[in-house]
Amino acid sequence: MKNTSTGKTTGTTTGRPGLLSAEHIALIDSGVSTIVASRDAAHRPSLMRAVGASITPDGAQISVFLNRSASTQLLADLQASGHIAVVFSEPSTHRAVQVKASRVQLRDAAAADAPQLQRYLRAMEGQLEPIGFGPRYTRTMLSQEPADLVVLTFAPEQAFDQTPGPKAGASLAGTGGAA
Amino acid sequence: MRAVTLDDIRPCLEGIIPSMIATCAPDGTPNVAYLSQVYYADPRHVALSFQFFNKTRKNILANPHATLLLLHPQTSAYYRLQIRYLRTQTEGPLFESMRAQLAGIASHSGMADVFELKGSDIYEVLAIEAVPGMALPAPPPRSGLAGLVRRCSEQLARSTSLDAALDTVMTTLRDELGITHSMILLLDPTLQRLYTVASHGYPHSGVGSEIELGRGVIGMAARERTPVRITHMTNASRYNHAVRRALAQRQPGLVLDTEIPYPGLAQPQSQMAVPMLSAGKVLGVLFVESAEELRFSFEDEDALVVMAGHLGAATDLLRLDADEDAPSTAEASAPPCPVTQEQVQVRRYRSNNSIFLNDSYLIKGVAGAIFWKLLHDYQQRGRTDFSNRELRLDASIGLPEVVDNLEARLILLQRRLLEQPLPIRIEKTGRGQFRLCVGAGIELAESD
Repeated sequence: MKNTSTGKTTGTTTGRPGLLSAEHIALIDSGVSTIVASRDAAHRPSLMRAVGASITPDGAQISVFLNRSASTQLLADLQASGHIAVVFSEPSTHRAVQVKASRVQLRDAAAADAPQLQRYLRAMEGQLEPIGFGPRYTRTMLSQEPADLVVLTFAPEQAFDQTPGPKAGASLAGTGGAA
Repeated sequence: MRAVTLDDIRPCLEGIIPSMIATCAPDGTPNVAYLSQVYYADPRHVALSFQFFNKTRKNILANPHATLLLLHPQTSAYYRLQIRYLRTQTEGPLFESMRAQLAGIASHSGMADVFELKGSDIYEVLAIEAVPGMALPAPPPRSGLAGLVRRCSEQLARSTSLDAALDTVMTTLRDELGITHSMILLLDPTLQRLYTVASHGYPHSGVGSEIELGRGVIGMAARERTPVRITHMTNASRYNHAVRRALAQRQPGLVLDTEIPYPGLAQPQSQMAVPMLSAGKVLGVLFVESAEELRFSFEDEDALVVMAGHLGAATDLLRLDADEDAPSTAEASAPPCPVTQEQVQVRRYRSNNSIFLNDSYLIKGVAGAIFWKLLHDYQQRGRTDFSNRELRLDASIGLPEVVDNLEARLILLQRRLLEQPLPIRIEKTGRGQFRLCVGAGIELAESD
């Protein structure tokens, strides 16, 4: 399993600058629940919770961190298809946004990623404590071995409002054009 | 290692932590969404709520394969479930149970209107994977549930009266399960409504209060013959019995007994109603509630379902048994009823057999007719000792049908009398036998 994928890019389409609103960029940047999905050649879906996430200030690039050992099928599917869907959701408010792309870059996590992961963990602890899940629970839920971590980077091509309710799934009209 | 089963991960199916579902569109685009709860349907199936025609639903109708990610609420361990969509139910026990639960969750989050359940999507569980990773130690399994259910069952099997059987269950709920608020309601098969025969934990017992079949968690559990368990709820929920709509006044005999207020909590957070069944018939409902959220787990539900089953069987058997006259052993030892100088006016309204003692409402219906017959015989002939059998044969009472639970009506009457201050009581003197104690002068009056 040890890294066959570093630096590899799959898929063909490019990201769409301006797709995400400042509000959604801020939501993703604040460190909220992050779930990553893909699918295999037979269109069977795979998924896992990320243990970290970050976004560039312009929203053009998103990175999510996964434990390889917990994401075997998901990583195989991402490498094979490039198709990725990620939902970001704020546990306390259920505000959520889903982004999708058809091309993703994989690399091993590096020492330089540590501050980012720490920041994410603190944010999630802050989110979950008030709803009854203490830091010990959150740290276990987001536990990671540096050598086991992989980083997926992608440029979001589509985005959808995912806040629960009848409008969940509505496509966000970014300046990059309609979905 | 043994494969993980759905029963092993039931704590993940309690709606404590949202679950995630990944699906895939026909063009190969994956989708991932949050689910407020994955419902346990049976050991091989789960059910998901269909509330909106969203992307997940579009996808599963085109491609039935989906993957769930569950998080254990205590250990933080992850489980992945490969599932396949089979069908959607829009009625029946599972649907109603999910709808009741969802209404509780939705009203909790202030979105009651938008969270109407359109259907229960049933999925077959193809595989369960324990995801490798760190986990907290699992809390020790809850011990003693089988033991307490056993003790309750043994006592029920030894019970020789419905009264004793009801007390056994109420005591087990209170002392063994630590449940602070509970009720037992029995079904009136003719009027299709449930009446309270026992309660614990409320300022007023509410014995005699009535609930329509199909109404609220209690009425729904009885109508659909399924346990209904709500882990979060607010008084905004239409499933809360404390918020009651007066039944349209069609004819006096059909009006609910609103003279006796329903005793339930004003602001419950957790509720569970379990039907009592015997030989395929609904006999009543066991109901518990709490001001705490998440008070009742699937394990409490399992225990209550077993207890309700035993109580149902006991109720059914004792109903027949109670009509057999057995020699009265208590006759000699029963203390005489104290007599006072008090004068009590007893008024019966013929239209619905409602009885008022000095203008205070006591009871109506079959129990009212029984009480009237007893008082009549007492006044005319000085009789105080009666048997269930003679009541059953007495046409003036108009017992609705042979299956009616006469013993339950007597318990209701006995308990209602105990709750009022005038010295009129009913005491059991043996199997199928009882005594009327009147410690005052009585005057009988009738109105239409």
